[in-house]
Amino acid sequence: MLRVIRLSADYETGRNQPVHALQNVSFEIAEQEGLGILGESGSGKSSLAQAVLGLLPQNGAIREGRVEFRGTDLLSAPAGELRRIRGAEIALVSQEPALALNPVLSIGTQMSHVLEAHSRMNRAERKERIAGMLEDVGLTEPERIMRAYPHQLSGGQRQRTAIALALVCRPDLLIADEPLSSLDTVTQAEVLDLLLRLKTDLKLAILFITHNAGVLARLCDRALVMRAGQVIASGRLDQLRATADAYVIGLQFPETTITSRPRPAFNAPSKPVLEVRKASKRFVQQRPFSRKKFVVKGLEDIDLDINQGQTLALIGRSGSGKSTLARCIAGFEQVDSGEILIEALQASIGPQVQLIFQDSGTALNPRFTARELISEPLQIAGKGTPAERTKTALALMEEVGLDPEWSERSAGQFSGGQRQRLALARALAANPKLLILDEALSGLDLPLQAQMLRLLLDLQQRHGLTYLFISHDLSFLPLFADEVAVIHDGKIVERKPAFRLQESTDPIARTLIEASERLHVPGVEAFS
Amino acid sequence: MTGFLLRRLGHAVLMLFGVSVLLFVLQQAAPGEFVTEMRLNPQISAETLNALRSHYGLDQPLPTRYLRWLNSVAHGELGYSFAYNVPAAQLLWPRARNTLLLTIPALLISWFIAIPLGVLAANSKSGCINRLFGSSTSFFLAVPDVLLALLALMLALRTGWFPVGGMHSDAAAPSGMWRGFTDLAWHMALPVAVLVIATVSPLIRQIRSAVLEVLDSTFIRSAKGNGLGRLTLLFRHALPAAANPLVSLFGLSVALLLSMSFLTEVVMSWPGLGPLLLEATLARDLFVVLGAVMLSTVLLMIGNLLADVLLYTLDPRIRMQG
Repeated sequence: MLRVIRLSADYETGRNQPVHALQNVSFEIAEQEGLGILGESGSGKSSLAQAVLGLLPQNGAIREGRVEFRGTDLLSAPAGELRRIRGAEIALVSQEPALALNPVLSIGTQMSHVLEAHSRMNRAERKERIAGMLEDVGLTEPERIMRAYPHQLSGGQRQRTAIALALVCRPDLLIADEPLSSLDTVTQAEVLDLLLRLKTDLKLAILFITHNAGVLARLCDRALVMRAGQVIASGRLDQLRATADAYVIGLQFPETTITSRPRPAFNAPSKPVLEVRKASKRFVQQRPFSRKKFVVKGLEDIDLDINQGQTLALIGRSGSGKSTLARCIAGFEQVDSGEILIEALQASIGPQVQLIFQDSGTALNPRFTARELISEPLQIAGKGTPAERTKTALALMEEVGLDPEWSERSAGQFSGGQRQRLALARALAANPKLLILDEALSGLDLPLQAQMLRLLLDLQQRHGLTYLFISHDLSFLPLFADEVAVIHDGKIVERKPAFRLQESTDPIARTLIEASERLHVPGVEAFS
Repeated sequence: MTGFLLRRLGHAVLMLFGVSVLLFVLQQAAPGEFVTEMRLNPQISAETLNALRSHYGLDQPLPTRYLRWLNSVAHGELGYSFAYNVPAAQLLWPRARNTLLLTIPALLISWFIAIPLGVLAANSKSGCINRLFGSSTSFFLAVPDVLLALLALMLALRTGWFPVGGMHSDAAAPSGMWRGFTDLAWHMALPVAVLVIATVSPLIRQIRSAVLEVLDSTFIRSAKGNGLGRLTLLFRHALPAAANPLVSLFGLSVALLLSMSFLTEVVMSWPGLGPLLLEATLARDLFVVLGAVMLSTVLLMIGNLLADVLLYTLDPRIRMQG
């Protein structure tokens, strides 16, 4: 049905050298087939999706190649023809549904515009079709959704709506560009089930783009593996699993990065570093000139402790209160009742607790150089002479796997994974007793997450570090965590050694575990 | 919605109060008052001057004068004109109406022209249309408003197609409603045109950049991926999404138009607030100046209030916050 032949595309960067986003990419996809495109971030997989539909950003251009859809070359097709095919025959679902929907138009209006562009239905027919489509994607109140604006929907509802919007004209090919990445685990599993059902019901061919090999198994028979704009491997999934190429293996089995060396054991006599006793926190909102108070429960009677050299993973869906707890422990917020002790002392803002956030791109000042960023905590603490501080900074860079040669580059010049290492080095410079990793890996693709975890484990072994690891998913969990606590609505609902989480009977923990199994989250096999 | 409006109205009243206090203090700080020039006249005795000053209340301390003025505002008089010996309101109301007669059509026409042109300019990001827009808007931005008004006057003089200043022809007055209306429209044409030409260029530029920014966003690209036509994309997706900064611009454009209108009125002798304000300032006719400034503040606030209400109805996210 779709045939891409030796497609190459460049991005103008303003400098003399254009970036080669795609180089000689060729593949075919048959009617009703599922094809996966697997690659790490920056491998050109999103550019491929956009190039097929002629939607590359302004600075992108196709250098050569052909994109044939049922015999028509999409690259040389006249604008009207291309417009007829887009939406009606090939549709696109992109990564971030919050950005893919127009914020000021209601869902019904947006879907109606698509139908108007491709059919001669009257108003009543359009409304009926839209309501039917919304029901098809599992939204139970189509009337309400049609009137709603994107910001009134939850993340999962938005992604379902985006899928409905793409499929409302019954296209035959769906290009799904990382449609699960921005959702939490349980929602991911639901949306994946939905895509599977739609694929059979609507006889869809799906081009599924992802960095997560686990989800491909259920949706696709074949996959391409991309790296730096090139296809480096392709074939049936079982053939790909048997390959010898380290990159392809790393993408499919990122957990091997962690398990390739035995898990280090820390055998010092352990005393608690963090003790949380009956901590509660409520948020009260009051509008000016109004007596109404809105009370939001942040935390309720939290009990938690971590011994030195241990890792506790705190798992919960978005809005469960996990970041609030992190902020209280770090001393940014005060609890209303209960107490938080760090090595038996009242917690306060200071170097003893360090936080690493999800997006270090925004947490690090992009104008500071790596050396300045890492030595700043030392400077604040008044430790050492400038020369000594620089020496420490360089040593730390080496320790987290960054080339010390790059110490004078500004933070903005590092990639996402490297910036996360930079944030880690900066946190270590403060010589913390407790390191809180608040979704610190969630923004990275799976192979990078695995590398970071390996690094964290090595550092833990070397320095006896204590981690509080906060996440919304169970990826790799049994491979690095000693204990798991599940938080829901501000309460700890389950607490178990990581390798025994599978035995949990708590319904919330079960939902998380089952969703992870359906998604083939890496490392999940180690539970059983 | 009512709560939102009431809050905005409350802000507006506070603001008016602040502006009036500021004006009183400023005029006190400025040298001279209405009777200063009479002092130079040897025929007017010191007693007469003092009598005049106490008659107008100029000998009272500032707070008393302010309270008196507030009282007169409450009675709808807005103080008293020294020069014309009538309540200031009697002078101001017809003038304000005449100013609105210029600014409201100018506002509507310039937005009516600017929206399609601005969106069109955003659509053709490169190429000759874009260059044409760029150079012509910067040309009109650079031309001073006074020059535009003078050029318009020259056109009227040379060709005789339009009346040179004023608001009515003498002959038109008695000959019926319709004649009166067309005569008024004929007199309005040039000053309104000057205002439109002067405001439309910055508007086009702002609309262009607002729409351009939205056209770059992911949701427009996905809408494009759904096969929407260019016009639907531009006017039904990009324009509403770009409306937010533009509506705030609407409030600002009212301010811009008012200040430009005052100038144009003076140059083209249109009997609006502009010439009155100039005259009263020169004569130190305190309450007329005060009234004119207060009235234009009120007009400005109405413009901003309108913008707020528009924003409230257009943007679902703001409606949520109430």
